[in-house]
Amino acid sequence: MNDDRPSVIGRLQASFRNSPRGFIFFCLLPTLVLMLVFTYYPFFRGIVMAFQNYQLFDLTNVHYIGLDNFKNMFEDAKFKFAAVNSVYWVFISLIAQFTIGLSVALLLNKRFRGRGFFQGFVFYPWALSGFLIGLIWKWMFNSQIGVINDLLLRSGIIHERIGFLSDPNWAMASVIIANVWYGIAFFAIMLLAALQSVPSELYEAGSMDGANGARKLLNITLPYIMPTVITTTLLRAIWIFNDPSIIYGLTNGGPAGSTHILSSLMLDKIMYSGDYGAASAIGILMIGILLLYTIFYLTVTRAAKLGDF
Amino acid sequence: MAAKKEKKMLLGAVAGVLLVGVLAGCGDNGNGGSNEGSGKKVTLRMIESLTSPARTAVLQEMIAKFETANPNIKVDLISPPFDQADNKIKTILGAKEELDVLEVRDSTISEFSNNGYLESLNDYVKSWPDYATVVDVAKSVASLNDNVYFVTNGMYQRQMFYRKDWFQEKGIQPPTNYEEMVAAAIKLTDPSKNRYGFSFRGGAGANGVPDAMIQNYNFDNIDHDDSNFLKDGKSMYSTPEAKQALDLYVKLYKEGSPKDSINWGYQEQVQAFTSGVTGILLQDPDAIPSLMEKMDVNTIGTAPMPKGPSGKSFTATGGAGWGIAKNSKHKDEAFKLIAFLSSPEQNTYFATKTALIPIHTSASKDPFFQTDMYKTLLDMASKPDEFVNLKANTKYPGIGQWGQVAMESGQSLLLGKATEEDTLKKWDQFWADQKANLK
Repeated sequence: MNDDRPSVIGRLQASFRNSPRGFIFFCLLPTLVLMLVFTYYPFFRGIVMAFQNYQLFDLTNVHYIGLDNFKNMFEDAKFKFAAVNSVYWVFISLIAQFTIGLSVALLLNKRFRGRGFFQGFVFYPWALSGFLIGLIWKWMFNSQIGVINDLLLRSGIIHERIGFLSDPNWAMASVIIANVWYGIAFFAIMLLAALQSVPSELYEAGSMDGANGARKLLNITLPYIMPTVITTTLLRAIWIFNDPSIIYGLTNGGPAGSTHILSSLMLDKIMYSGDYGAASAIGILMIGILLLYTIFYLTVTRAAKLGDF
Repeated sequence: MAAKKEKKMLLGAVAGVLLVGVLAGCGDNGNGGSNEGSGKKVTLRMIESLTSPARTAVLQEMIAKFETANPNIKVDLISPPFDQADNKIKTILGAKEELDVLEVRDSTISEFSNNGYLESLNDYVKSWPDYATVVDVAKSVASLNDNVYFVTNGMYQRQMFYRKDWFQEKGIQPPTNYEEMVAAAIKLTDPSKNRYGFSFRGGAGANGVPDAMIQNYNFDNIDHDDSNFLKDGKSMYSTPEAKQALDLYVKLYKEGSPKDSINWGYQEQVQAFTSGVTGILLQDPDAIPSLMEKMDVNTIGTAPMPKGPSGKSFTATGGAGWGIAKNSKHKDEAFKLIAFLSSPEQNTYFATKTALIPIHTSASKDPFFQTDMYKTLLDMASKPDEFVNLKANTKYPGIGQWGQVAMESGQSLLLGKATEEDTLKKWDQFWADQKANLK
């Protein structure tokens, strides 16, 4: 045995002592490998596929076709429709989720009996999968045997059943309603946490200066939680834009493509046409849109300044 | 400072999200190795496509019997959820992952064999004695260009289920042709009672009814070897008869079916019938168990599929079955398993449990298939001149896409966003393209 030679671990320790950078890298390695394999490799592979004829049912014929996937995409009436739908989907969902979520958070911020119980109730939808929510709402919206039509009929609000998911004029509104229900919980959780961090001295000072409730909300609460508001709305907008699960479970983009958004259309290209090239082209366009959106949003709200309260 | 970090984090988040969809496309997996060599225990990897929890349990039970009889063979059964099963199979095959036995369907046989994924079973079935009692339809569903690619495990064929009590109430007879069916559906429809004539299916699988109607309206000119086309090579969607059929189809939806049904797939369609919303259902025998479970059996009548103006009807028999993957390393063992599962005894058991039509001639004598629910199917089979069997058109690789194309353009038609002429033109174009691209 060579006792004077240091062990492997000993040598590693020695080299890390000399170079802390090496140690940091060593610790980051597992994460980096996972990111490379599951995020960046598929990402670059997707970019390559967007320029290929890559159809699942004919894998013997994969070849480069230049910008054809993008050209076809922009000429596709379904794509244009889905792009417009995406705008409604994101903005209406976001505004409704935020407004209701903030109201719920403000209510839950007050002390009252059974607050914990109500909190659990409000946060519950966030624990469900979007696909499941789609399925639940699909049965609720069913025009023949759905509970919503039944309640509306019994209470005399309507006299004829509404085809919430079959009437193209209603279908988009219906999927947005389901999505709003899903997302309220997220804002309620995040904003409630922020509200609880507002120091009570600020409100006391406000009271001394004679500020009423609305004044306090506008001049104390909102500015204080603004960084959270910006972060959450920005992230949520991206999630809403990306998440096809509710639409997939609820209408699958139907009837006649009237509820497709870009991400559900992308999924549709993969699941039903097996056309990975066309799907990747949509994916790349979505990344582009999101990058522009983020830059725009951060510039407009001047996040850097608002961060220092 | 904090805000700057936040900004960076957000930009990172943007780059990171969104890629899940693209991720699915990346599969250059290496082959997992498994022990080879004679005498050693062989593990067969098997995947099913038409999955349901009840069916998987039956299959596992049969596999357990096989494993007891063949202690040297172990079977790993993969049962993906039904909606994703075929895509999962395609992905496994495309990535050349190890797979021995797979469930091939009439709708996937062409795509799989086209891509070179399937082993031809011609030599295997030659030395399999039970193949002699397999009915011709089951053989033809499983073959393409003189090659047998799977051994059918069950067949389905549609028939008409109707509400006996509703028909009696209105004093009408069960319809025998499409025109009578639409008229009956309209008569039964009464939205104020939430009662509709027809269990319409405008969502996934929507192409079934219009395809059958257009075929029957072109009865004498259909090319029996190429069933979406006429004898002169044009598609069946290009004729004035197709327009007549489509007229009737649109009428069926607008006047005899719930508006909501434009989105319905199999589940909603059957559920509407069992919950007393609709009075006529065209379905395969696999719907029978849920009808029997949820309804008063005395209210259910069965009748043969409606006929076209010629007084005859095409019946399309569909089916799925067990095939062997081309790159399987245990083909002999794989066929041993298939032969076991497909024996008259096992197959008849499987068919009664899954409510499908068994493949062996001997099985129709089984008392299970003598009940009212199955009698109509056997009656139809006994009148081959009136109910002419038409081989499902499976040779085009694009057939998997047809359902999607027909569903979307069909919904536009039913919503009044597209005309019948434009819709037929689109369908004609789809099939003309398929024919032109056929290698």
